[in-house]
Amino acid sequence: MAQDGLPDQQFDRTGARGIPGEYLVVKELVVSEFPLADALWKDYHETTGDPAKDRIFGAFFQGDLVSLARCRRHDGGFEVDGIWTPPPHRNKGYSRMAVGALIEACHNDDLYMYAVSHLTGFYARFGFLPIPEKDLPDPVRERYTWAAGNLEGAEVLPMVRRAGIGAIFVRPLTQ
Amino acid sequence: MTQILRGLSPMKNPVQRNRILIILILSLASLGANLFGMIAGVTIVLSHLLYFPVILASYWFPRRGIAFSVIITALYGLLIAFFGPDEQLLDILSLSRIAMLIIIGTVVALLARNLAQSEQQLHDIIEFLPDATYAVDKQGKIIAWNRAVEEMTGKMKSSMLGKDQTDVARIFCGEDRPMLSSLVIRGEKISPVIYPEIRQESGKLVAERYLPNFSAGRGVHLRLSATALVDAGGNVTGAIESIRDVTDQVMMQEALENANHRLNTLSGILRHDLSRRLAVLYGHLRLGVMKFNDPEVITFIAGIKEAANSIMRQIEISREYRDIGATQPTWIPVQDAFQSAAGRIEIGPVIFHAWTERLEVFSDPHLSTVFYHILHNSVKSETGASRIIATYRICPEGCAIIIEDNGKGIAEPQKASLFVQREDSYGRGLFLANEILSITGMTIRETGIPGQGARFEIRIPSEGYRVEGMY
Repeated sequence: MAQDGLPDQQFDRTGARGIPGEYLVVKELVVSEFPLADALWKDYHETTGDPAKDRIFGAFFQGDLVSLARCRRHDGGFEVDGIWTPPPHRNKGYSRMAVGALIEACHNDDLYMYAVSHLTGFYARFGFLPIPEKDLPDPVRERYTWAAGNLEGAEVLPMVRRAGIGAIFVRPLTQ
Repeated sequence: MTQILRGLSPMKNPVQRNRILIILILSLASLGANLFGMIAGVTIVLSHLLYFPVILASYWFPRRGIAFSVIITALYGLLIAFFGPDEQLLDILSLSRIAMLIIIGTVVALLARNLAQSEQQLHDIIEFLPDATYAVDKQGKIIAWNRAVEEMTGKMKSSMLGKDQTDVARIFCGEDRPMLSSLVIRGEKISPVIYPEIRQESGKLVAERYLPNFSAGRGVHLRLSATALVDAGGNVTGAIESIRDVTDQVMMQEALENANHRLNTLSGILRHDLSRRLAVLYGHLRLGVMKFNDPEVITFIAGIKEAANSIMRQIEISREYRDIGATQPTWIPVQDAFQSAAGRIEIGPVIFHAWTERLEVFSDPHLSTVFYHILHNSVKSETGASRIIATYRICPEGCAIIIEDNGKGIAEPQKASLFVQREDSYGRGLFLANEILSITGMTIRETGIPGQGARFEIRIPSEGYRVEGMY
């Protein structure tokens, strides 16, 4: 296993990264796999993917999608969200793999997110830094207008990962 | 369009041939009817008959339309003066009729003159087209035959207008066979026997043919293209066909292909000979390693082997270069190209991730060779790279594929000459990569920071990429 949590093997037959024999694959979802993501996100605010705007990265274990991360393109910037691992699959590093894949694939753009407060440390390891809400691009900020400026109360924190920070090979500290 | 072409052709239908007679008869009839009416005491309605000769004369003879209207009006005035009731001569109705006749004649004459001018312009466009061009109506009769086709065939327009399009086939092919124009009109199924490479291009029917007996038996290669003439309702009313002599181009292409074939054969022989000599050299080097124990000699032999490896790689590159541009560019899944490139490289402990699953680019089929040479440079032990990432980003000018590693990078002075042909071996592969990319308008540059890793950025024009489900 690489330090970033992504499997070391380069390609399997489908072009995904995985470790033969361990049945673990991390890959960007193609359009025909978006319904798999929609099904997994059913328990995550019923989020759905849009191929026109989204790049979705997923970890598959023994052929089953077990963790997701999404990079959505807005007019004013890119938002990372939809990071979700169903409870039965947690604490196995799958989320780290999915987010790591997303960061590797999308690190050439500024990436914004609303991080759940207790996960800010997790995202900080990928290079995300807290920022004032006003620094978020409008289309991203509008998603949390319901919080009416009280993000602390909503237990979310705006964060950004700047393009070109040099960390193309993300190495979050292993627990 | 057909009407315009027909209207301009010297071939007149009976109505057109007898236009003066028709106007004369209509004028006499309408004046006679008015005379009869005046004698009989009918002074209304019948004057409207005069509009017919006025409108027709102004339409057919725009330049004389106004004069004709004035003459008819004057004759009508004379009839009123001599045969009409006294009070009619200056009454408002008579004067308004006279004014209306002149106005209508003037307006129709002006409109007809404008119409004739635009028809003439269109006629001139066809007449002076550089390509031999003719047009036929729906019945297959020739209605236009321009100067270029006169020069190509030696047949004058006057002798061809009105003839059937089968005569065109006889002129070009020496036999009865459908021209493209007749296929367009009749909507017939295209016979590949007659036109082996016939195809549709932007609504046109296009084909190439070699005519061995044409041009005084010297033979010509012709490129034919035909399209339908349609009316405002979209109905086919005829067809227009252009014929271009492409003999010079075909000969040039054949000459280039022959030269290319010979060069490829020669370079193939050279490659083969070099490979054989290298095999012998490798054999000697293996023996040398076994025979000598002196570390200095072993180092010396290792240097020779490294040089031999470089020569082998040059041979491989020249083999790849031979095929560049030989196949049509096509849409290529980028992930597959990376997969193919990575499969050709002894990647060792270096970790390589490509995140380009949904991306396709319009490229020469050797795109994987581009990636191969970039990856090949990154995995060299002297770069110190342990990881390589390939991904893409959408930017205002198009898309960029970015391949970066965490090695020591490329020093600034080296960057400028990375993609140019050089004497030493390092830059040859990247030169080749640049050549492949440039075929479809892509560019490559190195944007890494020395000390932090190499970063190759391939810029793709906006029309040259697509992301599955996105564009």
